[in-house]
Amino acid sequence: MLQKREKVLLLRTFQGRTLRIVREHYLRPCVPCHSPLCPQPAACSHDGKLLSSDVTHYVIPDWKVVQDYLEILEFPELKGIIFMQTACQAVQHQRGRRQYNKLRNLLKDARHDCILFANEFQQCCYLPRERGESMEKWQTRSIYNAAVWYYHHCQDRMPIVMVTEDEEAIQQYGSETEGVFVITFKNYLDNFWPDLKAAHELCDSILQSRRERENESQESHGKEYPEHLPLEVLEAGIKSGRYIQGILNVNKHRAQIEAFVRLQGASSKDSDLVSDILIHGMKARNRSIHGDVVVVELLPKNEWKGRTVALCENDCDDKASGESPSEPMPTGRVVGILQKNWRDYVVTFPSKEEVQSQGKNAQKILVTPWDYRIPKIRISTQQAETLQDFRVVVRIDSWESTSVYPNGHFMCEMPVNTPESPWKVSPEEEQKRKDLRKSHLVFSIDPKGCEDVDDTLSVRTLNNGNLELGVHIADVTHFVAPNSYIDIEARTRATTYYLADRRYDMLPSVLSADLCSLLGGVDRYAVSIMWELDKASYEIKKVWYGRTIIRSAYKLFYEAAQELLDGNLSVVDDIPEFKDLDEKSRQAKLEELVWAIGKLTDIARHVRAKRDGCGALELEGVEVCVQLDDKKNIHDLIPKQPLEVHETVAECMILANHWVAKKIWESFPHQALLRQHPPPHQEFFSELRECAKAKGFFIDTRSNKTLADSLDNANDPHDPIVNRLLRSMATQAMSNALYFSTGSCAEEEFHHYGLALDKYTHFTSPIRRYSDIVVHRLLMAAISKDKKMEIKGNLFSNKDLEELCRHINNRNQAAQHSQKQSTELFQCMYFKDKDPATEERCISDGVIYSIRTNGVLLFIPRFGIKGAAYLKNKDGLVISCGPDSCSEWKPGSLQRFQNKITSTTTDGESVTFHLFDHVTVRISIQASRCHSDTIRLEIISNKPYKIPNTELIHQSSPLLKSELVKEVTKSVEEAQLAQEVKVNIIQEEYQEYRQTKGRSLYTLLEEIRDLALLDVSNNYGI
Amino acid sequence: MAGLELLSDQGYRVDGRRAGELRKIQARMGVFAQADGSAYIEQGNTKALAVVYGPHEIRGSRARALPDRALVNCQYSSATFSTGERKRRPHGDRKSCEMGLQLRQTFEAAILTQLHPRSQIDIYVQADGGTYAACVNAATLAVLDAGIPMRDFVCACSAGFVDGTALADLSHVEEAAGGPQLALALLPASGQIALLEMDARLHEDHLERVLEAAAQAARDVHTLLDRVVRQHVREASILLGD
Repeated sequence: MLQKREKVLLLRTFQGRTLRIVREHYLRPCVPCHSPLCPQPAACSHDGKLLSSDVTHYVIPDWKVVQDYLEILEFPELKGIIFMQTACQAVQHQRGRRQYNKLRNLLKDARHDCILFANEFQQCCYLPRERGESMEKWQTRSIYNAAVWYYHHCQDRMPIVMVTEDEEAIQQYGSETEGVFVITFKNYLDNFWPDLKAAHELCDSILQSRRERENESQESHGKEYPEHLPLEVLEAGIKSGRYIQGILNVNKHRAQIEAFVRLQGASSKDSDLVSDILIHGMKARNRSIHGDVVVVELLPKNEWKGRTVALCENDCDDKASGESPSEPMPTGRVVGILQKNWRDYVVTFPSKEEVQSQGKNAQKILVTPWDYRIPKIRISTQQAETLQDFRVVVRIDSWESTSVYPNGHFMCEMPVNTPESPWKVSPEEEQKRKDLRKSHLVFSIDPKGCEDVDDTLSVRTLNNGNLELGVHIADVTHFVAPNSYIDIEARTRATTYYLADRRYDMLPSVLSADLCSLLGGVDRYAVSIMWELDKASYEIKKVWYGRTIIRSAYKLFYEAAQELLDGNLSVVDDIPEFKDLDEKSRQAKLEELVWAIGKLTDIARHVRAKRDGCGALELEGVEVCVQLDDKKNIHDLIPKQPLEVHETVAECMILANHWVAKKIWESFPHQALLRQHPPPHQEFFSELRECAKAKGFFIDTRSNKTLADSLDNANDPHDPIVNRLLRSMATQAMSNALYFSTGSCAEEEFHHYGLALDKYTHFTSPIRRYSDIVVHRLLMAAISKDKKMEIKGNLFSNKDLEELCRHINNRNQAAQHSQKQSTELFQCMYFKDKDPATEERCISDGVIYSIRTNGVLLFIPRFGIKGAAYLKNKDGLVISCGPDSCSEWKPGSLQRFQNKITSTTTDGESVTFHLFDHVTVRISIQASRCHSDTIRLEIISNKPYKIPNTELIHQSSPLLKSELVKEVTKSVEEAQLAQEVKVNIIQEEYQEYRQTKGRSLYTLLEEIRDLALLDVSNNYGI
Repeated sequence: MAGLELLSDQGYRVDGRRAGELRKIQARMGVFAQADGSAYIEQGNTKALAVVYGPHEIRGSRARALPDRALVNCQYSSATFSTGERKRRPHGDRKSCEMGLQLRQTFEAAILTQLHPRSQIDIYVQADGGTYAACVNAATLAVLDAGIPMRDFVCACSAGFVDGTALADLSHVEEAAGGPQLALALLPASGQIALLEMDARLHEDHLERVLEAAAQAARDVHTLLDRVVRQHVREASILLGD
């Protein structure tokens, strides 16, 4: 039964009158307490998470603590936290949406042991605010009262610690109830979590910045900035047009002096200002930071200033007079900030000398943000010296009018690698890791210009004659501690996004492109897998997993590696590592490298053959590479060329992934992250089967083995594109591969259909995939489990892992989608500024891969584009090809068959298109106002397009149709000749048996059948 | 300051109710002696007073008389002090006309008007910060008090939709937030709908859920009203002294 109370609120209206609002407030006897100690679980009806039962006490933070120390409460080590509703509302109302959402996410996060107790709706906990009682006092009183109730509710079995910053509250309530302790937050951390160093540091940092804030506001001497006006005044001012609202934009090149305020909607309409407003100098900017929504007062016209000359040329949009380049523009000063856009900023500590020059007070340090537009931030820390060489993340707390710079506190650190302070291998790690720097020739093969090298390879002959193959993966988990800020960020990003012209990294670039990246010639940490292989049969004899230190000798790119493999040593000049060597050592080193690449290829072929035996599929996806020139103009579109080296590297990675999958699954059968590829649905294959039938091939899709075999057989010797198209159709029919947790699936479902492996995971690209980071941690845990060592850090449980997998799968799909769209965009942009009528490049060869009622779908191998071409246009005209095979639009009709489409014009001409026919198409762009531009294809000739200097794709150029026609007619003539001979014989027989002369109906029909052969179509391409 | 959170993550509304819970309802019948029937209802902070006169002969022009059934005449007015700002609201403004019309439609559906041809039934409702639902419930009690035969109780309730959850019986704060709002008058025994009105846009997929929430709330209101009527009858019979 609910109990009704009334809550009276006194609000102030915009006119300044007080408004009395009565709100209902309902109290209930049972509010879920989310505690496992609850004596009446049925009444409390818990759903959602419970507090864990293995804590020694519950901690209830006061509203002030939640507001100020939320970052510390976010530490997963702190357990059994009960957030009272009163405290949450204080955050919601006083700290803004960003912090409140953080708190909400924290409460939702199943890994974090904290709950919300709705104390204001509990009839025993609710205390109405007394007359004259301040809001703060009431909040503290409510929270304490709720804490006492909670203690009794759990039948006094669990001590409760209330942490508060209010000294009076500590005195008043400290010893009021046994079992409910009231102490300060600092005290709490010291007593209960003396080992949690990070929390202490953070706490100190926050505490100090707060104390200073208080001190400064007390001092209040010599104000640096004018005070901000109160909100009501600002709002009234904006309404009356006296002030202007806008977003502050700091000039990147003159961050100290110039900033502009971009006007927002309404205000620009009323005033006759056309341009932005200049804010000149820090004083006029009045403590606002780039991106803030500010309120500006315009200065009188005689104080207006102009932009700095150097920048004025490119936009003189303001005021038509235009006398001098630095003509004055509307200038103003900031009187208030409506919305602060304070974020966390990456900053650098000043060098030692600078610190000393800043004065004795070394605890306060001015740090410089990475972004030019952000002013220097003053932070307080005692570890200034230890943090010297780090880049840290800082959050701004406040900016008092008395202080030149804003105050902040630091959040986390990032490693640094600069020429002055190069990153070095630490001696402790050197002892723990296996050192491969001297003993192994390690090298990487990647696409040209790749920065994030996460895999390297090595191969060598052992003393017993066996081979040792090594795969060395960047040790990202060494740098990214579980649940650190970087880790959490990487987890939400889940993958690096590669777009046609740029990429969005999962890890900060200092890690992804430098410290983790296995670049040539530098020492790096790695996680290695090394197999001992039999010298002749390449059987795997032994396998070793572990952490290593490597130094990659060569950073090769695919094309160079392929040349080396082919025995073409002229590419050596392209490899920077060889440049400054004398001839002799160069020769020796080169031989060594070529041997290694050759051996690797050999091994890869063997492994591949074994996998092929089980039915691994070779699939085809159309990939296009966009080549950009220096000015970011699109230079060319190039379909990616598969080289054998690609396959070699891929095979080694698949092998490594497979072995790691086996290892982690054996060690953690219920919580390993693997990757499955479910078998595809048979009905998706129907299009593939139909298409193949048109060419006379039969595709057996019952299992991956039969599919792989029949795809291999479906090869037209005259036209390699047929096979590529069939493979890409098979790829489209596949289901998506997914990450999953082994605890949530039956073992039969682990199978990877495409690779034909029973277990598979992703291990080899931790720089760009979060799943690999998880797998790395699992592998490390598995190794220490083997050594009977304690497993550091807790691994994800099955349920958490499942949730994580779902998240990563979603992000992956999004990444693929955006990648595809980016490629499409660039394809469009490539053709956009070309005139399709004249430009040579817009005309290309296309292959028909599907027939529709009013057109055909075409694939253009040159650009990797797939698209539709209409045979009947919007006016109802159909295509027809004249004797010169150029197409025109004429009235007529279309007739569609199983694998061909015929267009007949009214004057009797007809043209037929078959599946897999080559035609010439013109590519143009269809612009759209509401959607993205699309590529339009138009058939301009039914003959294949002949390119003067044949491109790579036409390695075996298809037989030209005219030749084919000749060939077929010849064979028909021969057949007719044979027929005539036969007829002669029959005639002789007739004579002998006195039969009627003349042809029988049978022969007549036979002849007609032969005549049908004249239709070239049936014979073409057998 | 962050915007008002109408439904918290824990499933509480601003005033501490859960999504399906009604506000507190208190009602009394027979508050005026001179009228044929009268009732007073409080739903949370919304208070409504209903008075019924009739059936009696048609007043005013006889032309309005209906040959086969009674005429239901409804009037709605709100008190000057009933809203946040004290403001005089004259009779016959647009809002009260609309409310009167809606009430009339509702009660024409419920009252067995054909029993009283050529006569008139007057329902006067006055509400504080009035909502349609409170008015209907008050009028139902008043009509019952007057002893006019009805098919069934008419129970009304509103429902809204926030973050994928249907909220029953909206309070003023929730109404003011401006989400979709649905008013439903139900004949609970037969489950027939006497009136359904919807403000703002709501996706068709959600309609069923919101409707169900409103109907459930209306059935809950019925149980309460039923209890009030029985209580009233019991008191009356005691007063009569058998």
